[in-house]
Amino acid sequence: MTGLLFWQLSAGPARWLRGVVVTITATMLVACAGVPASPPDPPPGRAAEVAPGVYVVRGVDAPLSTDNAGRVGNAGFIVGPAGVLAIDSGTSYRHGRQLLDEIARVTALPVRGLLITHTRQEFLFGATAFRERGIPIYMQQRAARLMAARCERCLRTLNEQLGADEMRGSAVIRVDHEFETAQALDITGRSVRVLYWGHSSGPGDVAVLDVASGVLFAGGLLDQGHVPDVQDSDLPGWHAALQALHALRDPPLQRIVPGHGPVSGPQLIATVQRYLAQLQSGAAKLLQQAASLRDVPDLLELPEFKDWQNYDNTHRRNASVMFLRLEQAQLAQ
Amino acid sequence: MKQAKAPLPSNTLPANTRSSSLAPSMARRGLVACGLASGCAPLLAAVGGLPTSVAHTDSSPEWDRLRGKLFADRPIVTADAKVQVQAPLRAAYGASVPLRITSRIAQSPALFVKRMYVVVDKNPSMLAAVLDLTPEIGQADFETRLRVDEYSHVRVVSELSNGELHMDARYVKTSGGCSAPPNRSSPNLIGKTVLKLPAGVAMNAPTTADVTVLHPNDTGFELNNQTVMFIPPHFVRSIRVSYAGQRIFDAELDFSVSENPTWRFNFVPHGPGLLKAEVEDSKEGHYVGELAVA
Repeated sequence: MTGLLFWQLSAGPARWLRGVVVTITATMLVACAGVPASPPDPPPGRAAEVAPGVYVVRGVDAPLSTDNAGRVGNAGFIVGPAGVLAIDSGTSYRHGRQLLDEIARVTALPVRGLLITHTRQEFLFGATAFRERGIPIYMQQRAARLMAARCERCLRTLNEQLGADEMRGSAVIRVDHEFETAQALDITGRSVRVLYWGHSSGPGDVAVLDVASGVLFAGGLLDQGHVPDVQDSDLPGWHAALQALHALRDPPLQRIVPGHGPVSGPQLIATVQRYLAQLQSGAAKLLQQAASLRDVPDLLELPEFKDWQNYDNTHRRNASVMFLRLEQAQLAQ
Repeated sequence: MKQAKAPLPSNTLPANTRSSSLAPSMARRGLVACGLASGCAPLLAAVGGLPTSVAHTDSSPEWDRLRGKLFADRPIVTADAKVQVQAPLRAAYGASVPLRITSRIAQSPALFVKRMYVVVDKNPSMLAAVLDLTPEIGQADFETRLRVDEYSHVRVVSELSNGELHMDARYVKTSGGCSAPPNRSSPNLIGKTVLKLPAGVAMNAPTTADVTVLHPNDTGFELNNQTVMFIPPHFVRSIRVSYAGQRIFDAELDFSVSENPTWRFNFVPHGPGLLKAEVEDSKEGHYVGELAVA
């Protein structure tokens, strides 16, 4: 226990410093290009202001493990004149409590609602802490149903992976407000838009746009420096949603809080599009060459993305999933 | 999550008999509510302390039990066995783990591989396939894809026509996370059966062929993500392959075989003929795929 604590204390600042160095370099580069400078990447678990009244709580950029208590997804919140809208809830009840503490550290205003952007375990189970405080939970209908259909299983696995103590109090929650379409969510007295384009990165994945600042919480639609997971996706739908994000003008996007990884500029959209396009064309080429599924993960190398988190597992799975989808489409012809 | 059905006591499989009810009886055994359809969520070994140093040749409690039922106390050759199994050590996608089986004897009427048992130790239904072979396949090599639910041995037992049993196994680790929503595309095409000759025809020699059935192979353990109701089991139970009216091999299957079940096999054409695959699924669906070979 002492060892673990020491690790956290020592490794945390080290990673933080590394983040600063990288970001400073990046800042100098974009500064030359005349784009507003980005603030340094904050340490995980601490609320950091992205724009006035808009906060990110970064996850750890590492695979889920007991070392990071599985807190690998980003969360955030938007503070309006009448209260707070929380966006995503963390991996566990304990993580949800910690996010609520971070909100309370920043503002005394009440939390008016929690919006869960998509159906992935590191964004979901902290909702039990919000539920305990009577905070209404919002989720797109198809995302809520996917959660109901599969997340008891994820929770069991998480219990095995992280331990019953870390996961104590976590449960698959009941959603208070299921919605079907894109809409305004102005419960804090601040203009917030929930964006939905149908099945994209997941069947019910939404993004959240703070109108005043142009900050987008991208949920499952965009990851930065992390291989996005295509398992739940409809690829044409995903491309369409990313095109729609590109085309946003009122307001134009300023900053993007991705599901995983550091806060980014709008160029992140094109980066993720490029990954998806390369994945798809790579799989199509292998199918055309009649490659065997067994060789696909090794053959579908994408050098541009090899340093991304989870390249060694999620990308290899993505390669298989994409190959199998194209193969099925060919069979169905 | 509630389990789909109450677990039944494990039934005894008749040793060395190929019963047409084999697949359904396998389906009723061991109902772990975990989602085979998606190769769900292992990663257990990474944190939870499951053994990571398991040898390919190790046994498991599950295998010890099944072995007793299938083969009683008959000896099984594992050293220098006549069958060889290849599978990835770390599977990229648990829902579709490629498996290659190679036989180290040629199929001749004098001595041939008569039957093959494909087993995934940790799956809720362990016996993925029983293949009944004839000398007409020429060379008893196969490729298929399996669902591997958690870190597990995948093993193949070959029964030779002289009664010997040979076994090879691989310990497969699958990487997890959330499971994918079950694939619901092309429902109108379920059962479409496609035969292909990837390397052309070689008369009077083992010729490689692929048979693939477009089929969800639903396990019965998955919930529909729209209705949040269980998707009833619906899977390919058997594939019977013949050439020019002569039986090549029969496969009794269950849902441990991946969605869109596919088998690469050999057959020996002695002249032009029709390569035919007759498919039956667990809802009494009958499908046929044919390919004229000349």
